[in-house]
Amino acid sequence: MRQRETLRPIFRTAWDDLSHYFDPAELEAWAGAVLELAHVNAGPACLIAYWDASKSNAARKEIAPLLVAAQMAADICRYAGAQAATSALNALPAAVRSLGGGAALARWWQVMNVLARRAPESVLPVAIHMSEIIAPGRIDAFENFVAAGLRAASGDKARRVAFFMLQDELARRLIARDLDSVSFLEAETELKAFLIALWGRLPLLRSFSADNSQQAQRRTAIAGPLIRMPEVFRGVQGDAARALFRAAAAHAQAHLVLSADLFPVGTLKPLQIALVNLIEDARIETLAMRQFPGLRRLWAPYHIAVPSGVIAAPTLLARLARALFDPAYADEAGFVAKGRAMFEAAQPRIADPAISREIGMLLGNDLGQMRVQFNVKTYVVEPVYRDDGLGLWDFGQDAPPSGDVVELPIQAVRMERREDGSTDDADSESNEQDASPRRARPVAPDHRGVVIARYPEWDRAHAIERPEWTLVREVAASIGDDRKIEEALGRADALRSHIGRLVRSVKIGRTIRLNRQHEGHDLDIDAVLDAGIALRVGHAPDPRVFRSAKSLHRDLAALLLIDVSESTSDRLPSGATILDVERLAVAVLAEAMERLGDPFSLLAFASDGREDIKMTTVKSFAEPYDRSSMARLAGLKSGLSTRLGAALRHAGHLIGKTTAARRLLIVLTDSEPSDIDVSDPLELIEDARRAAVGLHAAGTNAYGVVLGKAGIAASSRIFGRGNSMMVQRIEDLPNRLSELYFRLARR
Amino acid sequence: MDLAPYRIGTEPYYQPVGDEIATFEAAYTERLPVMLKGPTGCGKTRFIEYMAWRLSKPLITVAAHEDMTAADLAGRYLLEPAGTVWHDGPLTLAVRYGAICYLDEIVEARQDTTVVIHPLTDARRILPLEKHNEIVPAHPDFQLTISYNPGYQSAVKDLKESTKQRFVAIDFGYPPPATEAAIIVCESGTDDDLAGILVAIAQCSRNLQGHGLDEGASTRMLIHAGRMVRAGLPLEAAVRTSIVLPITDDLDIRAALSDAIRACLP
Repeated sequence: MRQRETLRPIFRTAWDDLSHYFDPAELEAWAGAVLELAHVNAGPACLIAYWDASKSNAARKEIAPLLVAAQMAADICRYAGAQAATSALNALPAAVRSLGGGAALARWWQVMNVLARRAPESVLPVAIHMSEIIAPGRIDAFENFVAAGLRAASGDKARRVAFFMLQDELARRLIARDLDSVSFLEAETELKAFLIALWGRLPLLRSFSADNSQQAQRRTAIAGPLIRMPEVFRGVQGDAARALFRAAAAHAQAHLVLSADLFPVGTLKPLQIALVNLIEDARIETLAMRQFPGLRRLWAPYHIAVPSGVIAAPTLLARLARALFDPAYADEAGFVAKGRAMFEAAQPRIADPAISREIGMLLGNDLGQMRVQFNVKTYVVEPVYRDDGLGLWDFGQDAPPSGDVVELPIQAVRMERREDGSTDDADSESNEQDASPRRARPVAPDHRGVVIARYPEWDRAHAIERPEWTLVREVAASIGDDRKIEEALGRADALRSHIGRLVRSVKIGRTIRLNRQHEGHDLDIDAVLDAGIALRVGHAPDPRVFRSAKSLHRDLAALLLIDVSESTSDRLPSGATILDVERLAVAVLAEAMERLGDPFSLLAFASDGREDIKMTTVKSFAEPYDRSSMARLAGLKSGLSTRLGAALRHAGHLIGKTTAARRLLIVLTDSEPSDIDVSDPLELIEDARRAAVGLHAAGTNAYGVVLGKAGIAASSRIFGRGNSMMVQRIEDLPNRLSELYFRLARR
Repeated sequence: MDLAPYRIGTEPYYQPVGDEIATFEAAYTERLPVMLKGPTGCGKTRFIEYMAWRLSKPLITVAAHEDMTAADLAGRYLLEPAGTVWHDGPLTLAVRYGAICYLDEIVEARQDTTVVIHPLTDARRILPLEKHNEIVPAHPDFQLTISYNPGYQSAVKDLKESTKQRFVAIDFGYPPPATEAAIIVCESGTDDDLAGILVAIAQCSRNLQGHGLDEGASTRMLIHAGRMVRAGLPLEAAVRTSIVLPITDDLDIRAALSDAIRACLP
């Protein structure tokens, strides 16, 4: 080692320091570690860094971490070079601060090692920014971050470096999100229940993606009946974040409950609009706090304006907002005092939204005449929990900036979801796999869908079965908006809770009581008494004096076959299509079946001639019922015809592969079977009947649920009168379908 | 047989909500069986106690449960030192000596047990005791009342149609806010302001019915909260222990309900 002479005194000092904490044996081991570092040509800087790290960690009196550190640094030096090893050692204090010692630190070294092997040029940037990256304090967040960076760059060195230098938007977002911050998704259930508890109305909550950290925190926005909230409130963590979400949600919902029609913009200037919003905010909050006094405590912490500072529109507005919220806040500014006085005077008419417009217009005028600086582009509503106010206005024909703003989040949310899917999962590519068919058969796919099976069909005229007559194709499910289903379910809450109770009672399952048994857990009193009486009378007593109970065991698999032919696009008087009602019915039942734990599958079918029977798998037996299943359910579209026989055979084949003791196939259809290449409807009815008979022979119980009167005669013929149910009022379908399932499943 | 132990001496506190008193009196005049329907904690049992006091009739209460057999209601032989002696069950006592028999939460009992009441609830008004080889005609004062919580209704645990249709029904629900507050004041000794807050809290929980809760807070829960406050517990803790913790185990719903409750507190 060349600089041995210069290093010697530093080494000696370090040795002396350490000798206060460690015994000679440990010191020897430490010296050995130093030697190893020297042997890999780590260089003087690295050695000095190691000695510094040793000194600062010596107080813990554990030699093992120091030895590990040396070993790991040596490894890093081998793969990534001396500079990288030095930087890693320099970053060690930050890591120790955030992660503590022990297992987490060991994993930290692992990650750094992996980084050294796979992306040696990135060790330095990561080490430099270590305090920022490791700030979340969780080792899995760090592992996640590094993994995401390696994946996102996919071999491109320059991109990797940019990512780990935190120049990449994604990198920053990962750190920001992993901070102990609470995301909208985490808070959503609680927020929804909170708002329902307060005002009894089902809120429609959405998120928009976290914005560019250069600008101010984007505010909650109201769009029609929707409340859009930021995915994350920057800079707020844990309970404070939850409280902010609650405050923002409560304020927005108060608008929806207490504000009336939209204000027409007319000729109002931006400053006036801002002031009308401010007064309206104060008005609805006053009304809300009358009903729920505790909301004051929820909102008060965010009013932090003080009566001093620059006279600019944002600060004046914030002060006015606080003055209207808090009677105890003292502010001498004329503008604020005037606003307060006007608001006070309007108290008798507080239930009337018109006062907001009146007062806001006048105050806006005043402020404009005061020539106060107001930059409409950078203005954000204060305090942070309040909505941006744009949802209260009717902008009419003008294409307003707010209109774009309202549009954008919709795209952003969709894109965000895709993005979320690809960065959060370890295997991002699997998201694309969702849509493609699961069964890859040797037959070449064409644009109509992958062919998965050929089935015979019954020829009624000639009374023979034509083999390989029909072609069943698997069609990729289009992804819809699963929120629509969630909302429909939310509206049908009475039904849902009823089904929930059915589920519970079935799950708990009443036990069958068996009296007069030879053995059991309890005495059957009546039998005991009879025995006693018999003894007294002198007869031989019946020894069956016990009572036991037997529980019913469920072993049932179910497949729901959903007709999505053209006729299901017909509209009902309520405005929904038949397919919408089918969707809701299936969603309610699927929820119940998932909770019961019965294996089930959801399949949609439509046909376009015998060569093209399209089956769409909404949920297969193997997968769990989750958001993606709901999204596929939401994406079903009406079209084409109903070749029921082939669909039955295919469904029978699928359910036949399950191992349940009982197999149930429920078909939801709105008409009799028909198809474009068969002129006589009786043909396909007869074919479907034979298919159903075949299913029965194979041990699957097929049941038909017919919507409306049109198909009932055919259905009775196909499934049998006892296995057919007509739902005349289609709106009743959700209720009746679930009841049917419970009835059938019990037998 | 002296039914004095079953008589109610002092007037039980009961706040009428609708015309339920007049309805029950009319049903009793005709000795028609009555079904009291409503969620838990809404005053069904208190009502029947009040009516028994008001009509000066003894009240025999049976709390139905799943292990109940027909013999538990009708009676059985017991083996005593002196010999085998028949003992009347509570239902038979009421039938023989003219009391109001109140079967509480009748859905809990199995359906093969509840059918024993059928002969009493139609024009015959008799109770056949096969084991005792006796047919007991109902005392002129006898009347049968049952309570029934529709929330438990399910395909498995339900009254048979043939049972349901023998009864006249009175619906019980949550009282209007002013009445409910008065009830809370009377039963728990709190003041009007606190009772008003408790009623507002109950409304929040009832909004969540079907959206996370099976049932909202009952009047009984509010009375519990009031009594805890009277015993010295601060309001928020009293509400938490009487309402939030018993009503659900779901952490999200607990948090949301607690937040809503905090919004109701001044």
